[in-house]
Amino acid sequence: MGTAVVITSGKGGVGKTTSTANIGTALALLGKRVCLVDTDIGLRNLDVVMGLENRIIYDIVDVASGECRLEQALIRDKRFDHLAVLPASQTKDKSALDPDRVRDMVVQLKQQFDFVFIDCPAGIEHGFRVAVAGADEAIVVTTPETASVRDADRVIGLLEASHLKSPKLIINRIRPKMVKQGDMLDIDEVVQVLAIDLLGVIPDEETVIKNNIKGEPIVMNPDSRAAMAYRHIARRILGDSVPLMVLDEEPGLWSRVKRLIGGRR
Amino acid sequence: MAVKMIVQSKPEPKHPVAVKGTREGLVFLLDEHCAYEDLYRCLTDLLTGESAGLFNGPQVAVSVDYGDRALTPEQARALLGVFLARENFVVREWGGHTAARKALYGQRPSARAQNQFIHKGTVRAGQDLYFDGDVVVVGDVNPGGQVSAAGDIYVFGRLRGIAHAGIHGDERAIIAAAEFAPTQVRIASVVGWAPESAGERMSTFMEFAYLTADGMAVDKMQYAAVLRQAGPGTADGPGSAGASAGEGG
Repeated sequence: MGTAVVITSGKGGVGKTTSTANIGTALALLGKRVCLVDTDIGLRNLDVVMGLENRIIYDIVDVASGECRLEQALIRDKRFDHLAVLPASQTKDKSALDPDRVRDMVVQLKQQFDFVFIDCPAGIEHGFRVAVAGADEAIVVTTPETASVRDADRVIGLLEASHLKSPKLIINRIRPKMVKQGDMLDIDEVVQVLAIDLLGVIPDEETVIKNNIKGEPIVMNPDSRAAMAYRHIARRILGDSVPLMVLDEEPGLWSRVKRLIGGRR
Repeated sequence: MAVKMIVQSKPEPKHPVAVKGTREGLVFLLDEHCAYEDLYRCLTDLLTGESAGLFNGPQVAVSVDYGDRALTPEQARALLGVFLARENFVVREWGGHTAARKALYGQRPSARAQNQFIHKGTVRAGQDLYFDGDVVVVGDVNPGGQVSAAGDIYVFGRLRGIAHAGIHGDERAIIAAAEFAPTQVRIASVVGWAPESAGERMSTFMEFAYLTADGMAVDKMQYAAVLRQAGPGTADGPGSAGASAGEGG
């Protein structure tokens, strides 16, 4: 029996889908059987980030409405056959899914996968309740900005009021330089406000966006620091204790890393 | 050891009738929690039994206060009858919250004490905590969160959200916090803002001590609720090897 983890944030555009794709792929790299479920009906993009868009025939709403079997809607990843995606629907209405149906689906998926990651839509309405329904654990993604932290706080409150008592935190898009100059909230501040366990910190990198466009999760890129951060998160999920990456290293090393990833000044 | 002894030494059971002497005369405070029969028996014992002689003498003004007890008319008549039966007693006051009681306790701050509610954990964005009395938050009040109280608000942590004390108009209510950086503070109908602190945050924070399997540990206050939820670290209790920090045992 696997574990179902919902990845949520409240605010949009903080990196839920990117994190879902990357953590899932990282766990698949470690040999785990992983299924990624996109519950963002009408605005699907997990399949795009995974580069599987052109292979979709059925989607999660078709499964819910009984038009196809769950197995038929699963798309096996081209890189690993133990990694699968259950895509959202592009056209149908958000109300097409109800929490009970999704819970049933997740239970079914947990029987054949070690991990089921549920990519949650932005917001805290119907779509959020649907995504949370089947989950055993929750990961909250935030960026080090006031608005994003505020929304994460709201979502953590809702999760704690539901059956997901101890959500874990990912802080995405940290820019060490801006933090140093005091232009960005630092990790300690975010963790202090949200007061939940920190699962990992992802540095802001342009390669992440490039890889998303290519349809290849960043964890496949061995030179990226963001990739390393996602791999660390995957190992922490498996119970390894991996120390947090030091983000601001000495100038020499940092600029070398920057050169590697092609960052500007 | 010492700790244990304190825990064990419970206060003596209270006599249902307390008599206080004041300049004006005698104040009888009748316990509001015990059974009515006990109260009646104790009162008759006191005023007509062996100790009755203590109350003999010249005329004395008497105030009787029965607190929050709900008395039926018969019970009230019976109790009042016991006082009226004594020739030298002049019953000046009879009621649940007499001026005499207020005069007795008026100087003490506890006279204002209302119901208290202790919230353990963070008050997060979008959450609104309301209580008809004083509120104690053991944790932070985050931006976007709100605490409202009929009485005072005490935050054992950072107050970053909105606090509204004396929501029903009590202008003596106060708002206190270990770190005071609210979005807004309201007392009764007055709204205030904390001074702009140029982005500077206090470096101090509250800490709490607790027992783990390895002995005593200290952590930041906002983790108190989380740890409490997870349950105590020790299954076999204190007293195991290494538990040095003065627990009883």
